Amino acid sequence: MTVTLANPLRDGLRLERTPEPACLVIFGASGDLTKRKLMPALYNLALQHLLPTSFAVIGSARSRMTADAFRAELHEAVAEFSRTRPIDEEVWAAFARSIDYVATPDDSGYDRLREALARFDTAIGADGNRLFYLATPPAAYEPIVRAIGAHGLRGESGWSRVVVEKPYGRDLQSAMRLTSAVQEVFREDEIFRIDHYLGKETVQNILVLRFANSIFEPIWTRQHVDHVQITAAESIGIEERAGYYDSSGAMRDLVQNHLLQLLALVGMEPPAAFDDRSVRDEKVKVLRALRRISPEDVGSLTVRGQYGPGFVGGERVPGYHDEAGVAPDSQTETFVALKCAIDNWRWEGTPFYIRTGKRLPKRATEIAIRFRVAPHRIFTREASAGLEANELVIRIQPDEGISLIFGAKVPIQGLRIRSVNMDFGYGESFMVDAPDSYETLILDALRGDGTLFTRRDEVEQQWAFVDPILAGWQENRQELATYAAGTWGPAQADALIARDGRTWRRP
Amino acid sequence: MTVMDETFWGAQATSVDALERELARLRRAAVEDAKGRGHTLARASVLNLVVYAEREVHARRAARTIGELALRHPSRAIVLLGDHHREGVIASVRLHCQVPHAEGAQPVLYEQILARLRGNYDERVASVVIPLLVPDLPVFLWWTGTPPSDARHFDDLLSLADRFIVDSADFARADRTLPEIARLMRLRGGITDLNWARLTHWRELIAQFFDGPALRPFLAGVVGMRAGFAVDMDGREIHPSQALLLLGWLASRLGWRPVEALAASEAGGLLFRMRRADGATVMVRLRPRFERGLDAGDLSGVRIQAALGEHTAEFVVKRAPDRRHGTATAIVDGTLRVERVVVLSALGIRELLGEELTITGNDRVYEDALGALMGLA
Repeated sequence: MTVTLANPLRDGLRLERTPEPACLVIFGASGDLTKRKLMPALYNLALQHLLPTSFAVIGSARSRMTADAFRAELHEAVAEFSRTRPIDEEVWAAFARSIDYVATPDDSGYDRLREALARFDTAIGADGNRLFYLATPPAAYEPIVRAIGAHGLRGESGWSRVVVEKPYGRDLQSAMRLTSAVQEVFREDEIFRIDHYLGKETVQNILVLRFANSIFEPIWTRQHVDHVQITAAESIGIEERAGYYDSSGAMRDLVQNHLLQLLALVGMEPPAAFDDRSVRDEKVKVLRALRRISPEDVGSLTVRGQYGPGFVGGERVPGYHDEAGVAPDSQTETFVALKCAIDNWRWEGTPFYIRTGKRLPKRATEIAIRFRVAPHRIFTREASAGLEANELVIRIQPDEGISLIFGAKVPIQGLRIRSVNMDFGYGESFMVDAPDSYETLILDALRGDGTLFTRRDEVEQQWAFVDPILAGWQENRQELATYAAGTWGPAQADALIARDGRTWRRP
Repeated sequence: MTVMDETFWGAQATSVDALERELARLRRAAVEDAKGRGHTLARASVLNLVVYAEREVHARRAARTIGELALRHPSRAIVLLGDHHREGVIASVRLHCQVPHAEGAQPVLYEQILARLRGNYDERVASVVIPLLVPDLPVFLWWTGTPPSDARHFDDLLSLADRFIVDSADFARADRTLPEIARLMRLRGGITDLNWARLTHWRELIAQFFDGPALRPFLAGVVGMRAGFAVDMDGREIHPSQALLLLGWLASRLGWRPVEALAASEAGGLLFRMRRADGATVMVRLRPRFERGLDAGDLSGVRIQAALGEHTAEFVVKRAPDRRHGTATAIVDGTLRVERVVVLSALGIRELLGEELTITGNDRVYEDALGALMGLA
């Protein structure tokens, strides 16, 4: 047979997203992530015709289970968690036909997995293309990857890739160790580290806003920007995640990955192209320029807090110490505020304030770019009393959108100026359901596009920034402040920004 | 002017200025009304949509579609309802406007204007439309029915439009009009066809057969292609444009050239002989079939036959009787290799238009598909 290069029917505007035939192997198939996120995402991709014709899913976990029982479990999960409901039974039935389950309680399980993969290769023509998804607790990452290598699970032909969930290490050392272990089996360009924030439409939109428009970039500098605030507020507590959360805390759970990603996207220089290499190169550069906060400085540049009892949404909620599964003397932080500096030409002297916390008054993730005030005031102080500096706010969740705050004349005789809000809501301009971030990310991994995944040097820069702060806290150079649930964090956080003559926004 | 008319199309105005005043009044009233119910009302507009219709049913269908799409694509919609043949009426323009808002959590304000044109209005159409366009927003022109060749009102409206939307399912003689559209396409870009959008799922399913290297070589060995499309019970009028577009797409992607159109078979289908890039022959048959529940012209199934050395293969996509699903099967040397049930719903005009309004660039593949059809006419 002759070898044809690309599929000529794939050309053009509407048909470019479907990946090549492949097998997806999910480790941790009986876990929560598989049920809540991965399977609903796969089902919705199937619904939109975005999965390849030849596609199989093999679930794997320690427990023994028949493929039928596994499919039944997934059906129930998809029916509960899919963003489109009710589920289309015929599409599900067709999709479920190529779902299999192989238990891996011991080494021999991996041999059975290899046989199952080989079977699918010929049965559906997956050509040896494999995507391994590590949806297990992090302790299992290394042993599974070793087993993939030792048992020859990579296909003889085609590509093999691995998706690694968060948390990716718990400090620089362990992250580097994990990367070395994974790299014994996979090349760096075959490793896809998930940060599901990057799969969100609005996060990708930061790049579009900045680099598809010409009006923002010229003022996106220290000359015009007074400071930047990045907020990720959650109203919920730790739910059922006490075991994981109490050993990691807000810094590892949110700042190291999601918030530093947002900071990098806002602070980065324009990449030369929208591809995995250019975008990630620029993000790494800005992370490298992020000034390290040494253990000696944590007293002045960081705040850590833990929620006490209080009220959220009218309900009385317990304090962190009273949550089930939390050690009574736990020193784990549930709130972090930081003052960061980026040491480069663009941002010298413009601080980036970051805060995140649990049990804050509402759920809101946003980035606010605060501009400098007009250089010369021509209006009287009385007239411009209601005037604030211009602000561009990128709201990430909920109610994604962008608002610009500027001064306008109040329509009366005489002159009074007030700040008004020009609001753009994605929901109102594009009345379609945005795809779930896992749909985007699974599709990208199947297509081999790493733009929205975290590269090795990126993860290492993130940890290199976070580690000394955690060390300083460990040495107790900054006390753990308590805040009442349902407030915007401890008073120390207000003091952190008030020292610079600024205040936190109310999102 | 009947009472019915007034309810459907809203208040009437005699001039463009009066119309703008009326729109402003309606906007304020809608905002007041929303305030009273504790909502804020956003006046949103992302595009101008000009609809041209010569039949009241088309105009009403368009108006309803725009209303349903208002949340996704809030627009200033200008519906032009022309009637060249009304006798005894001097050329006239009547304007109606409406500022409806959706019930529910997110009311959005959009505007709809109806201009009734009578008599010999060809020269004055543009002068009605231009002052009504919202500045700076793109203009989409949706032409219902068959676009005329060589008509002043058509040319004028076309020159105002950034994007031109037709539905070749409505063409009276698709085999003649499609090449016309192809010629127009060469002169200006930005043309889209709702019937082409109906094919997207079909094209996706066909393309997926050949994503893997195992079956892809068969693309170079296609010897036959058959497509069925729905006709009415009596089968007198056929609408083969969807099937023709699918053929045009395959021919342009795979480098087939038309050789001849053969005489219509006894079943009233279209027969073509095409030539592959390597000189071999491809026989094409587009066949009308009566299918319950499908609109006339909708595809009911596609079968592609290929031979490669000693191997033969058949690729079939078929619509299931429930109209919402389909099956995609590939058979190689008599053995079933792929069999899938997929979503293959017949899209309504609202979904189709909604999708088209998101596309502002040129669809080169559509252009190529039309180009491949030019030799068949």
